[in-house]
Amino acid sequence: MLSRPGALTDMGRAVLRWFGGWWRIIHLGALLLVLALSPSSYARANRAAMARHIYLGTAPILLWFTLLSSLLGLILIRIVVVTAASYGLSQYALQMVVRVLVLELIPLTAAIFVALRIGLPDGRELARMRSRGELDALRQQGLDPLRHEVLPRVIAGAFAVMMLAAVAGVVTLVLAYLTVHGFTLGGLERYTRTVGQVFTPAVTLIFTIKTFLLALAVSLLPVASALYDLPRGRTRTSAELQALVRLFLVMLLIEAASLVGNYY
Amino acid sequence: MNQQPPASPEPSPVAHLEFKAALLLVLLVLLLVGSVLYVMYARGVFEATQRLVLVADDSEGVTVGMDMTFSGFPIGRVRRIELAEDGAARILIDVPKKDARWLRESSVFTLVRGLVGNVAIRAYSGVLSDPPLPDGAVRRVLVGDATAEIPQLVAATRDLVRNLTALSNADSALTATLGNVQAATERLKGRHGALGVLLGNDDDAKKLIAALDRTNALLARVDGLAARVDGLVAKADVQVFGPEGVMPETRAAIVQLNGTLADARNTLKQADKLLAEAQAVATNAKVASADLGTLRAEVESSLRKVEHLVNEINRKWPFARDTELKLR
Repeated sequence: MLSRPGALTDMGRAVLRWFGGWWRIIHLGALLLVLALSPSSYARANRAAMARHIYLGTAPILLWFTLLSSLLGLILIRIVVVTAASYGLSQYALQMVVRVLVLELIPLTAAIFVALRIGLPDGRELARMRSRGELDALRQQGLDPLRHEVLPRVIAGAFAVMMLAAVAGVVTLVLAYLTVHGFTLGGLERYTRTVGQVFTPAVTLIFTIKTFLLALAVSLLPVASALYDLPRGRTRTSAELQALVRLFLVMLLIEAASLVGNYY
Repeated sequence: MNQQPPASPEPSPVAHLEFKAALLLVLLVLLLVGSVLYVMYARGVFEATQRLVLVADDSEGVTVGMDMTFSGFPIGRVRRIELAEDGAARILIDVPKKDARWLRESSVFTLVRGLVGNVAIRAYSGVLSDPPLPDGAVRRVLVGDATAEIPQLVAATRDLVRNLTALSNADSALTATLGNVQAATERLKGRHGALGVLLGNDDDAKKLIAALDRTNALLARVDGLAARVDGLVAKADVQVFGPEGVMPETRAAIVQLNGTLADARNTLKQADKLLAEAQAVATNAKVASADLGTLRAEVESSLRKVEHLVNEINRKWPFARDTELKLR
C-alpha cells in the first residue's frame, strides 16, 4: 500500500477520522449525561416518552431473558457443582458459581441481549428519522431532538441492561442456593457467608462500574452511529453492522478491564 | 416491533404507561437496594464484633474475608493482615459477639494448610467453662502444614497397622487373653462365682465351702466351751480364795511347817553331838590301827626269819639232792 504516493497521508487521515469518530461518541455521551442529570429533561412531555421507551424496551424481554438466563445458569451451576464434587472441592463450587455467573456472565449476556433487542433497533430508527429529516423538523419546532428522541432511548437502553442483570443475578443466586442445598432454609447462613466472601468491596465496586459501563456502551454506541456519519473507511459493511462491531469491541474492552481489576 | 413504519412518531398507546414504567423503576431500585443490603449483611456489616489478633510466622494463603471456623462452623472472618514490628504476621479477626462465647481463655488457634494449598484457620476450645476470651486478645497461632507431615504420618500409620495386625491375629497374645477373660467371666457367671475363678476348679471351691461350714460349727462349740470355762473360773475362785478355800489352809500349814522346822533344828543339834562322839570313837580306832601296823611288821619279820630258817635247813638237809647244779 505504501507504494502508492500519498498512502501515508491517507493513513494519517484515517487515524484522525478514527479518533474523531470516538471523540464524537464521547462528546455525545457527555451531552446526554448532562441532559440526564438536568431536571428539565424530566418535564411532563419528555417523561411520557421516557416511560414509553423504558416500558416498551424492558418489559417484553424481561421474562424471556430471565427464563433463558435461568436455564443457562441452571446448566452451568449443575456442571460446576457436580464437577467440583467429583474432585472433592464442593466447598469452592458455590464461590465459583457466583463468580462466573453473577459477576461475569450475566452482565455480559444482558448487555448483548439489550444491544440486539433495543440498542440496534433504536439506532436504526434514529438513522431513518434523521434521513427523513424528522430530527431537523423537530429542531425547527424549537425542540431539542437530543433531549426528546435520543435521551429517552439511551436511558431506556441503560435501564434495560441494569434491570435484566439485576433480575437475572438475583434469580441465579436463588437457583444456585436451591441446586446446592435444596428446598430448605438450613444452608442459608453458610450460603450468605459464601456470597459475602465473593462480594468484597473491590469486587462489588468493579462489578457495579462494569455493569454501568456496559449499559452505557450498549445504549449509546448504536445511537451515536446513527446520529453522526461516523467514518466508515474502506469497508463495505453496512453502518449498522459496523456499529455492532464497534459495540462488541467496547464490550470486550470493558470486560477485559474488569477481569484485570478483579483478578490481578 | 422493529418493523413498524418509522414515519409514525406516535405508536399505539399503552394503558397506564407511566405507572408501569414507574413500577419497573421501583422494582430495579428494590432489587439494587436489596442486593446491597444482602451483601452488606453477608459481609457482617451489621454485626457487633470483637477483635481477635492471631500472630503467625507466616501468613501465606490467608486472605482478607476468609473464615475462622470452630467445629466446622464459621465464627469469625479475617479483617486485615499486617506485618508487626518484629516481623511476625498479625491476622486481625472479627468475631461476632454472639459467636464469641465459643472462644475461651484456653482456646487454641491453628493455621492449617491443606493438600491443595488452601488455608484454614480453626479454633479449638477444650474447656468451655473457662473465662471468655476478652476483646482485642492476642494469641499465637499454631501452624500445621498437612503436606509436610504426610510421609511421617504414613510411616507411623504403617507401623500402627502392623502392630494392630499382630495384635488381632488369631494366635496373638491379646486374642488368647481375651479368650481367658471370656472363660473367667463364664466362670464368674457360674455356681461358685468369683471363688471358682480364684481357685480354678469347682472341687476346691466345694472344699473351701465345706471348711468354712466346719469352721462355723467349731466356732459354735468354742463358744460353748468358753461359757463353761467361765463357770469353772468362778468356781476355782471360790475354791481358792473363798473362806474355806485353799489359801487360808495353806497359810495354817505354813505356820505348822515353821514349828516343824524348829524341831528339826533341835534334832540336828543332837545329831551334831552324836557326830562329835562318833569322831572321838574314830580317833581311837585310828590309834588301834597304828598298833596293828607295828604288829604286822613284827609278824612279817618273824615270818621272814622262819623262811630263812627253812631255807637253811633245806640246804643243809641231805634229802634234797637235786637242788645242786651239776656241771658236765
